[in-house]
Parts: sequence; structure tokens; C-alpha cells
Amino acid sequence: MLTPLINTARESLRYRGSGHVLWLLHRITGLGVVVFLATHIFGMSMATFNPSLHEAMLAVYKTPLFSVGEIVLAACLIFHAVNGTRIAILELRPALWQKQEVATRWSIIVTLILLAPTIAIMAYKSMSYYLTHGLR
Amino acid sequence: MASTTITPGRTIRKVRPIPQARNRFELAMWLFMRYSGLALVFLALSHFWMQHLLIGTHEIEIAGTQLRWGISGEPVTVEQLIWRTYYAVMLVLAVVHGINGVRQVAYDYFAHRPAIYKGLMGTVVAVAALISLGGMAALFIGAAASTGEVALR
Repeated sequence: MLTPLINTARESLRYRGSGHVLWLLHRITGLGVVVFLATHIFGMSMATFNPSLHEAMLAVYKTPLFSVGEIVLAACLIFHAVNGTRIAILELRPALWQKQEVATRWSIIVTLILLAPTIAIMAYKSMSYYLTHGLR
Repeated sequence: MASTTITPGRTIRKVRPIPQARNRFELAMWLFMRYSGLALVFLALSHFWMQHLLIGTHEIEIAGTQLRWGISGEPVTVEQLIWRTYYAVMLVLAVVHGINGVRQVAYDYFAHRPAIYKGLMGTVVAVAALISLGGMAALFIGAAASTGEVALR
């Protein structure tokens, strides 16, 4: 039953190449980070201009929903950083274009290597907080 | 010279050549995205890992900000100046990098709708300028001395 779906996914990946998937992910994660960036700069400036609003925003960041959001943010930021490094290196050194497939693979591998411990530590910290303080 | 692609049964779009000045701007932004990106890998990741792994989201309080930014009206230490510089550089690079990223995406989908493209980018630039000027001012004024008082006054 899933065969057409799997075929579509596999064939579009083969036709457009894995680089296309990374291009799409780079775009989505970039937009994700930029939305948080705006919220974050506004929230931090409130530490000067409206400390109670600042503390209210900090309290929201400490709820389970935002602990999940924090993991999404980590994934977006780390992938965008690693994949962006790949783009910068390849485009500033065109001699390396012959190794694009290898670079694509390393982009994913390095992202996972950096992301796994990050998520593990954040999840551990969040879980131990909610276990002692309860869910709010 | 305006060229027209004619394909039977398809929408005809006029493609205008890009002026020289914009070409130079695009080259500058292309280079900026690569170099600011490489700098932000270190700036943003060190910032993220410090706050989320070393400190931990649930331990983040205004006290930490007061320590690093300094408190408004109080003398600034050398360490606080270093922290302020670190945040200021990161803020400028991240905001310009972010705006240009949004511009690329907007251009990809709305290049043939100049009104939407210009309206969207005008809004993005205005909001970004407002937020980052506020952020930069906050950084160099220093964090408020204590919670609540300023807001309630």
C-alpha cells in the first residue's frame, strides 16, 4: 500500500539528489531560527526595559512545550550551522565540487554527532527539573 | 533588454536584466552570508551550548544577564564589556544574515509579484531594525536592577 509513496520519495531523491533535500532543510531550519531569533532579541531587551515581562517570558521557556521547542531549536541551529559550513567551504573552494556527495553525507553525520549529545543533555536536564518541580 | 520566453500553453514572464549596482550588492551579500555564517557557527553554537548545556534552560534567571551585561546605571567591568561585545557582534551578524536569508526565500517565491515582495521585505526590515535597535540599546544600557519595579512604576 505504501509502495507508491516510497517510490515517490525514493525517485524524487534520486532525481533531484540528496543535495536538494539539504537545500530544503537549510531553508526550513533557517526560517525556524530567524523566528526564534526575533523573539529572543525582543525577550532579552525586556531584561532592561520591562523586567517583569522578561521574567514572564523566561517562565514560559521553562514549560514542557518549550522544552520540546528547545530540542527543535537545537536541531534547526546545529543542522543549519553544519550544513552552512559545508556550503561555505564548497563555494569558497570550487575544487572540492567533485566531492559533493561525500560532503552531503558528512553534513548529515556531523549534524547527528553534535545533535545527539546536545538533545540527551537537554532532555536529561529538563526531565530532572520536571521530576523535582512537577509540571506547570 | 527585456526578454520573453514563449512556451505554448504556459504563462509568459518577462525577465528583466539585473542592474550593475544590484549585481555588486548581491555579490557582497553572497560573500557576507558565507563569512558571517562561518563566524556565527562559533558565536551562536557557543552561546546556545553555554545557555542550554552548561547553565540549562531551567536555571536561566535575570541575575545571569545582570552579571554579564552589567546593571543599568552601575559602573561596567572589563568582563562585562567583553560580554557586551560578544553579544553585539553576534546580534548584528545574526540579524543581517537572517534578513538576507528571508530575502532569498521571499525572492524565490515572490520575484514575479514585486508588490508582495517589497511589502514583505519592508515589513521584515522594519521589524528587524526595531527589535535589534532595542536589543542593542538594552545590551549597552545594562539589565534592570531588579524585577517588577520598572514595569510597575
